[in-house]
Amino acid sequence: MKLMIGVAFLLALAGSAAAQQEEGIFPFDYRLVELENGFKAYLIKAGAPGQIAYVSMVRTGSRDEVEEGKSGFAHFFEHMMFRGTDKYPDYDGVTSSMGAARNGFTSSDRTVYYLVASSEYLEQIIDLESDRFMNLKYAEPDFRTEAGAVLGEQQQGAMVPGRWLNEKVRETAYDRHTYRHTTIGYEADVRAMPEGYEYSKSFFRRFYRPENVVLVLVGDFEFDEAEELIRQYYTPWEAGYVPPDVTPEPEQTAPRRQTVRYPGRTLPVLSINYKAPAWSATDRLAVATQVLGRVAFGSNSDLYKRLVIEERKVQYLSAGFGLARDPSLVSINTMVVNPRDVRTVEQDIQQTVERFREELVDETLLSDTKSNMKYGFLMGLETAQNVAFAMMTSVVNTGGIEAVNDYYRTLDSITAEDVREAARRYLMENGKTVVTMVQAGR
Amino acid sequence: MKRLALIPACLMALAACEMAPEGTITVREPDSPFIAFNVWVKAGSQNDPAGKEGLAALTANLLSDGSTTEDSYDAILAKLYPMAAGYGYSVDKEMTAFRGRVHKDNLEAYYTLFRNALLNPAFSEEDFERVKTQTLNFLERTRRYGRDEELSKELLFWMAYRGTPYEHPEEGYVQSVRSITLDDVKAFYQQFYVRNNIVVGVAGGYPGGFVQRVRIDFDALPEAEVVPAPAPEAAMPDGIKVLIVEKQTSATAISFGHPISLVRGDDDFFAMMAANSWFGEHRNSFSHLYQVIRESRGMNYGDYSYIEAFPRGYTTQQPPINSARRHHLFEIWIRPISLTAPGNLHERALFATRAAWRELKALVDGGMTDETLEATQEFLHNFTLNYAPTVSRRLAYAVDDAFYGIGGDGFLSSLRPGLAGLTLDQVSAAIKRHLQYENMWVVFITDDAQGMKQKLLTGVPTAITYAGEKSAEHMAEDELIASFPIPVDEEDITIMGINDVFERSGG
Repeated sequence: MKLMIGVAFLLALAGSAAAQQEEGIFPFDYRLVELENGFKAYLIKAGAPGQIAYVSMVRTGSRDEVEEGKSGFAHFFEHMMFRGTDKYPDYDGVTSSMGAARNGFTSSDRTVYYLVASSEYLEQIIDLESDRFMNLKYAEPDFRTEAGAVLGEQQQGAMVPGRWLNEKVRETAYDRHTYRHTTIGYEADVRAMPEGYEYSKSFFRRFYRPENVVLVLVGDFEFDEAEELIRQYYTPWEAGYVPPDVTPEPEQTAPRRQTVRYPGRTLPVLSINYKAPAWSATDRLAVATQVLGRVAFGSNSDLYKRLVIEERKVQYLSAGFGLARDPSLVSINTMVVNPRDVRTVEQDIQQTVERFREELVDETLLSDTKSNMKYGFLMGLETAQNVAFAMMTSVVNTGGIEAVNDYYRTLDSITAEDVREAARRYLMENGKTVVTMVQAGR
Repeated sequence: MKRLALIPACLMALAACEMAPEGTITVREPDSPFIAFNVWVKAGSQNDPAGKEGLAALTANLLSDGSTTEDSYDAILAKLYPMAAGYGYSVDKEMTAFRGRVHKDNLEAYYTLFRNALLNPAFSEEDFERVKTQTLNFLERTRRYGRDEELSKELLFWMAYRGTPYEHPEEGYVQSVRSITLDDVKAFYQQFYVRNNIVVGVAGGYPGGFVQRVRIDFDALPEAEVVPAPAPEAAMPDGIKVLIVEKQTSATAISFGHPISLVRGDDDFFAMMAANSWFGEHRNSFSHLYQVIRESRGMNYGDYSYIEAFPRGYTTQQPPINSARRHHLFEIWIRPISLTAPGNLHERALFATRAAWRELKALVDGGMTDETLEATQEFLHNFTLNYAPTVSRRLAYAVDDAFYGIGGDGFLSSLRPGLAGLTLDQVSAAIKRHLQYENMWVVFITDDAQGMKQKLLTGVPTAITYAGEKSAEHMAEDELIASFPIPVDEEDITIMGINDVFERSGG
């Protein structure tokens, strides 16, 4: 039976999406370890033998950059987390000697650090990771040097049209909330980062605290051993998380419209955005809003079929209905082949919005959409790392993985009436922001 | 070094290969809930007819994103939708691959769609117009304006392979794609999508007898003689040849390299893999170039080197799959350099170039050391397990093995013993055989190309400043870097405007 071992842990996945719904969609055994300082660790047995994915999720991202001139700082700080401690001054050297794949990434609501490594290094990784989250240390010259690398990162993608447009959309749609700026930050703020050494230390003190970090450990290990090690290494971490004072976005009272000029070459891109609710696993309208994005604007929607395939008026049509920790935007983006068609395409989208505000979605499409979302989740559970990443939305928004099952239960119960109600509630003219990106010089 | 005697998952999976029918590659993992497909068509951009560059890619694109005789494209999307599955394609110089993955619940319905896409394409005019318009938009706009660092790599390959079937980018030129007709696509399909030119790969938890059935389906294709494309031969440049592409930008993209006679499966491959990993492991702080240019100088986002083609490296940290080639370049990728401290952008770009070049000289002249080789072996021992964590990637590696003629348990299984057995003498000798620093193709994408050209020609030192303090030792090394010679003659520097890039063949 030696050949079976390779994927033995995946057996739990073998059933169909429908069969798993009664007991919850999440197919793996797990254990929750909670420490008195507020730290939580989810231990999940999944993936290939001999491997672990060690994923630390900090519930802080560019959303938490409340101070003026500090946009991009959460991402910058992610870079600093690789600069070592007194105990392990050469973080990169230690992880390289393990042959670990490791990295970090930041977005609006989270900063995530991961290592994928051989299980033999479990204790060393727990030691290494707990140590840097408690005792990170770097000198000002190193801090200034790293700021250069961050500016390099900002520059290498600055002209990617989607990113360029995203910055303009946020500025137009938000007045107060920190979602107004992108995660990479404004270029001026990124250029000022070398001067932020003292601020970076306060950033670490406020946000890198046990109550604000959730560990998701997935792979091949023993529950008892892993729990004991986590208790041993993370217990000394002092609580002290200071939640940021994020200003809520005031209610939008009128539609907004803006044309922006991309300084490269592009076909016109139309970005239509609406103010949407915060992510929730149990709020039917929040889940229905995500379903709405797919049924109205997804690759199987009538609108996609017409604009992309039949009339070929647009190069693509995409719906971003992901939702975030705080109320944010849902977006419909499309690239129009002929600049003269921009208004027509916008009208087509508007008619679709109105249709979904009036009519009930086709039951087959609704059912196919639920299937799409469930299989999408299951198809993403192939490796330990992907299992951990599949927990991220739940962890970031709720602080735990329990909401995964809640979310798919709610999804199962969504009706056509819920989808229509979501359209009525959130695809509102007064909450709308339209940004058109055209080529500069035209 | 502490190591447990664990059997890596990917090695075990490969051991599960069953006897497959001729013309198929299988990686059977009976307990996996997923089934992966990888259909390899032995044709790539090298098979594009002159004046029709981009035809292989457009053909694959139309099959992947078009209607079949059974279903319209929107009906295909509707059927794939509840499965959350799809399929896609990649076209490289030598090979085309169609890949897809599905949960076993949906295998039958999915396979019917996947099979029809390849065997029963409708070649509809409407679909053709759609994919061609999308390609032209990419060529005219996205490629030129979206990501200079990827463009600089494509231009490096274009320079190095002038006059060979590898010359043009896979997607083609603006003018050549404009000239492609639906009849061209049909003719290409008839010429290359034939029974004897297609290998079918299946992996994961497929049922018994399934592969045989798939092969029978694909055997319905006609057989035809396929003339192999001539072996690509890239010329070693005589000295240093520079292309400067001018565009309005606040950062400078840099790529340089030279041809190497080395492919996967060669005797020196593992030695060079180790040397390259230490020198420039892709998007990893283990890279020595990364340490020199990014980590200690904060000049950019990263700096790496390659002994195999690595298209779209900005999208992934894993090595590419299904871009197997008979010929490769040694390539250095310096991510865009911007003004991260006061000074002149061209001087910073040249400083970074000089720093990488100087390190290459040190590697060629001095080789690795016992310490660096051992550290590399230790790093790669486990790191290479990340190459193929999914059934799709394990299958793709098996397909690439077939391309390279790697038998036995395959490339993935040979990595650990191949790397562990290396000696310093072997590695140093391999470096001397394959790398050099005097003849080089070089690409810059920057503003004020004339200014850049003058800086290069005069050979003036290009010192840089920092946002923070640096040690005396660091500054002393900077002086050496700033004046490191890059001897280049005026006639060997070409300047091109961004809107001429990849406009037409020979452009």
